[in-house]
Amino acid sequence: MVDQHKARAEDPEGRLSELFAAYRAACPDPEPSATFLPGLWEKIEARRSFAYRLKRLSRGIITAAAVVCLLMGLFLSRPEPSVSYVDVLTADQSHDSAADEDLLPAGYERN
Amino acid sequence: MAVDFELIQRARKGDDAAFSQVVQAYRKRILGTIARLIGRPEDVEDVGQEVFLRLYYSLDQLRTPEVFEAWMYRLTVNAAYDYLRRRKRRAEARMSDLSEQQVLWADAAAGTEREHEAQRRKRVRELVDSLLSSVSKEDRILLTLKEIEGLSLKELEKVYGVNENALKVRLFRARQRVLKVYEAMEGKAAVAGGSEG
Repeated sequence: MVDQHKARAEDPEGRLSELFAAYRAACPDPEPSATFLPGLWEKIEARRSFAYRLKRLSRGIITAAAVVCLLMGLFLSRPEPSVSYVDVLTADQSHDSAADEDLLPAGYERN
Repeated sequence: MAVDFELIQRARKGDDAAFSQVVQAYRKRILGTIARLIGRPEDVEDVGQEVFLRLYYSLDQLRTPEVFEAWMYRLTVNAAYDYLRRRKRRAEARMSDLSEQQVLWADAAAGTEREHEAQRRKRVRELVDSLLSSVSKEDRILLTLKEIEGLSLKELEKVYGVNENALKVRLFRARQRVLKVYEAMEGKAAVAGGSEG
């Protein structure tokens, strides 16, 4: 046992292992302070309230987007004035014939 | 396991009292691990609270209570990584620590038994902190978990999510890097001790 210990102490690997073991013994687990648990709950609550605010904000944004969509839908689906295609074509043709008259050569007499 | 599965299940389901009991059962051990991982006693509680905060918000992702302790270690390691990443290491401070360390090591090498036990422990702490500060944070954390916390390879597999062989290789390399620094320190201390004597 003593020889084994001596052999370990002689090689650097063994000394390093012993040093780590000594370090473990030299660093016992610290006692938590009295404020540890209350401090932890404060942090949990702070994050929880932040998450709650974020959730509320996102819900507000979703509601606003839904309202905008609804209004856009209503606007686009409102009834158009009832003008038929034939009415539009007729109006256009009468305008064309007036324009043709202007295109007669100078001095040309209309019959 | 420091607590029974039923308590963990209750905490998972949002029972705050059960969660407090889990914290009380594990806080001392976790704070000890953090203290050895980061080597800064003044920041241990902050990092510890961060670990339990992450636990609180990730407990519902835990599939089976059997892996709870490995899960806790994983959270602890991640929080320690984040802390070490944030902490800016001051090279000049490390250099002064090292030179002071060499003097302390020279004292230790002299092997005077009349020194007080507290002083010896302090030197061991400073020496190992200095050694572990000289390697990367990945090496530091891996070696601390294996060599100081005494986690088995199976437990480390669960913490890191890599297979045993890969872990063995990483451990071997990390250990070799620390050993190199350790031998260099011993050599310098021997020279310092010799020149004093």
